[in-house]
Amino acid sequence: MEERQYDLIFICRPDTPEADVDKVIATLEHAATEKGGKIEKTEKWGRKRMAYRVQRMREGYYVFMLLRSTHGEVVKELERRLKVADPVIKYLTIRVDEELKRQEKLKRHREKRAARRPRKTAPAPAVPSSGEHAAAQS
Amino acid sequence: MADEQAPQAPATPAAPSAPSGHSAGPGGPGRFGPGGPRPQGGRPGGPGGPKRGKRSFIRKKKVCRFCVDKSDYIDYKRAEILAPFLQERGKILPRRMTGTCARHQRWLTVAIKRAQNIALLPFAAEL
Repeated sequence: MEERQYDLIFICRPDTPEADVDKVIATLEHAATEKGGKIEKTEKWGRKRMAYRVQRMREGYYVFMLLRSTHGEVVKELERRLKVADPVIKYLTIRVDEELKRQEKLKRHREKRAARRPRKTAPAPAVPSSGEHAAAQS
Repeated sequence: MADEQAPQAPATPAAPSAPSGHSAGPGGPGRFGPGGPRPQGGRPGGPGGPKRGKRSFIRKKKVCRFCVDKSDYIDYKRAEILAPFLQERGKILPRRMTGTCARHQRWLTVAIKRAQNIALLPFAAEL
């Protein structure tokens, strides 16, 4: 089965020590590898102000992860762990591979068009010998 | 001095102004009663012209920001990009307000909704 890619973001309580956050990250990584997935990237965004209050807290410690897996079981397990983890107050998993694919496609399309356009507009420079001749004559 | 002259001064300007007004007045009717005022009206209408011009400028200005940037993907993680497309109260601005093209508005709404879910953007403004 093709590989899927997910964005995983979770928010910890603002007063959790760094060590606890690392512990949560470690458990998630362990769980992911156990289930056959892989966490490619982990970014700690740090303490940020949230747009609205969550469990009466205005700030949260954001952690972003990039997950790759071939089946959805991994996501299920990770979300279960996040739900159980004490410092985590909010989490979100989003499947992104299809959008990335679309992005790639559009990019390729754009490049192709960009490559085609100059050929159309400037056929003379495309042939260097004729251009040189023209320059010599002028 | 100034006080003394002041009463006079209004009188003298008033006199010239009145004649000038008269001259313009007869001039207009002389040409054609409504015709005279109309060109003059046209000048005050001039502001009307610029107004139209302004409107058209505003229309011209409305270009999809994402098309200008040639973005193929609107990232929900960057709240600072999405924030200008929200109203004060947290509503998503319609396309007709922002000038975003249909395709990008579609992506934009999805991105905003995702950002809302992870508390990067508000669902509604807090009181």
